[in-house]
Amino acid sequence: MIRGISLVYGGYLLLPMALLLMGSVGNSWTNTLLPTGLTTRWYQDVWLDTSFRKAFVTSLVVALSACAINTVLALPLAYSLYHRAGRAGSWAARLVSAMPVAVPTITLGFGYLIVFNTDWLPWLGSLPLLIAAHAIYTLPYLTNTLLTDLKHLQLNALEDAAATLGASPWAQFSGVVLPNLRHSLLSGLVMVAALSVGEFGLSNLLTSFQFRTYPVVLLQAFYGATGFACAATVILLLLAAMSALLSSSLGTKNEP
Amino acid sequence: MSLEFQNVSYHYPGTTQGLNDLTLSVNTGELVAVIGPSGSGKSTLLKLVSGLTTGHSGSIRLDGQDLVNTPVHLRNIGMVFQNYALFPHLDVLDNIAYGLKLRKVPQDLRDAKAKTLLDAVGMSAFADRSVAQLSGGQQQRVALARALAIDPKAMLLDEPLAALDASVRGQLRDQIREIQKRFNATTLLVTHDQEEALAMADRVAVLKDGCLLQLATPKDIYERPVSTAVAQFVGLSTIFKGVVLAQDRVDLGFAELVAPTQNRAVGQIVHALVRPEHVQVDPPESALNRMAGHVGAQRYLGSLSRFDFFIPGAGAALLCEARSLPQGAIAVAPDHICLLDS
Repeated sequence: MIRGISLVYGGYLLLPMALLLMGSVGNSWTNTLLPTGLTTRWYQDVWLDTSFRKAFVTSLVVALSACAINTVLALPLAYSLYHRAGRAGSWAARLVSAMPVAVPTITLGFGYLIVFNTDWLPWLGSLPLLIAAHAIYTLPYLTNTLLTDLKHLQLNALEDAAATLGASPWAQFSGVVLPNLRHSLLSGLVMVAALSVGEFGLSNLLTSFQFRTYPVVLLQAFYGATGFACAATVILLLLAAMSALLSSSLGTKNEP
Repeated sequence: MSLEFQNVSYHYPGTTQGLNDLTLSVNTGELVAVIGPSGSGKSTLLKLVSGLTTGHSGSIRLDGQDLVNTPVHLRNIGMVFQNYALFPHLDVLDNIAYGLKLRKVPQDLRDAKAKTLLDAVGMSAFADRSVAQLSGGQQQRVALARALAIDPKAMLLDEPLAALDASVRGQLRDQIREIQKRFNATTLLVTHDQEEALAMADRVAVLKDGCLLQLATPKDIYERPVSTAVAQFVGLSTIFKGVVLAQDRVDLGFAELVAPTQNRAVGQIVHALVRPEHVQVDPPESALNRMAGHVGAQRYLGSLSRFDFFIPGAGAALLCEARSLPQGAIAVAPDHICLLDS
């Protein structure tokens, strides 16, 4: 019974991906159940399309910038939440954990749209705003990953031991906390990159023509040839899948 | 390096738990074990000395210097934790050398010292191992070497054997004591295991509700406890309430015993403490403090048996230990009855 449900569920998940893959190498797909013919020209077309190449670079720049910003923000945030004082800290930790579920990206996007589309803050469509929005959207994911690892490793006991051996608070953080968090930090950053690259709702509201991200440009592709749209989607899918695999393998390396 | 507590009090915020006006001292090279029930304040004591907890009143002095304004990382006090707290990202040698690296000791010197200490704890073959590959006993040996590496002014051992199997515990207990003596380390040991405290310590401090009940040698703590609370916490015993009848005579209600009443007044309420191993089985008719009765529950302990002995009229059974069970009577020699004031 459970096996049957798993198979149906697996099929439901994998079927669209399989169809995309077939469509991306199919020569033609018009009014047929499956595409006909075999070709690689859709991938070549995507590669030669300057708007896709530019969007790909923009997505990478946004994702890497969000990673850099989140490294600076999430480490001290998770660390201070771990050493939380009383109810306020506990409440803040729960808020951070719930953020990704409680606040949809479309809500964030409309908020930015209102605030940054004024004469006082005319930054809508700028790259820095897009990067900031992605950083804020992905920050709770990285913070949660670090927070879970901090609790799992019981780092306060290691900090106490380091302190009695002569480590100042900074030496405890740099010499004990950071090295022990390196796996979860890497794993969390790959997840941040994957989320940022695949993010559509927020980007669609905030980008200008000059700084469109890959998923935003991808939407345009579906108004053209099916094979081209499939190939462009498969590239995004591969990127996200590789990131997810890398993230999970880095995460498991940290298991005791 | 002596360690002195003078009228030290500390309470956890919003609770009555902590320490109350505690005064005790640990002499240079001495090992003082602190025992007491949960919540008695023994771990608080260590945290205050180490600086991991601050905000006490009174003074804690190490080698004559008040520690109140010295942050934890500048106290130079070695601490061994119950759960080892070894750094998982460092190998065994680097764990031991960690404190020396913080003190900017050149690498060759710190490696040499770490190897010497590894040798001292019998772990020289494990220098390059990851700490995750070590057993609990091995990890605690490394933790001990790591604490000793910084040439600490004092050593704090926080239930160092509590997480270990019984078979390892006894062996490591002797090794810790031997190393502590060799390094002449002024040491405070916190443990909930009375046997560990009695076996390792030069003196034992018994704490209850944040107050020091008694500080004495293991022998005195066991044989001459100052109160029923100490007697009940340290070792097995039976305590009967009684009244002084005359010089060296006590009435327990169900029996009149000969016991050293010392300077107690006639009519004074006392408690008579009897340790199970001091009960004599099937004594001669002429024996002092001979009491008839019958055997109740028995526990076979290998070399001897522990059993309850019911004396008619006594409210509770007398706990006894002997090689054989009595046929119908036991006796307790007068000098093995310890009278405690109410």
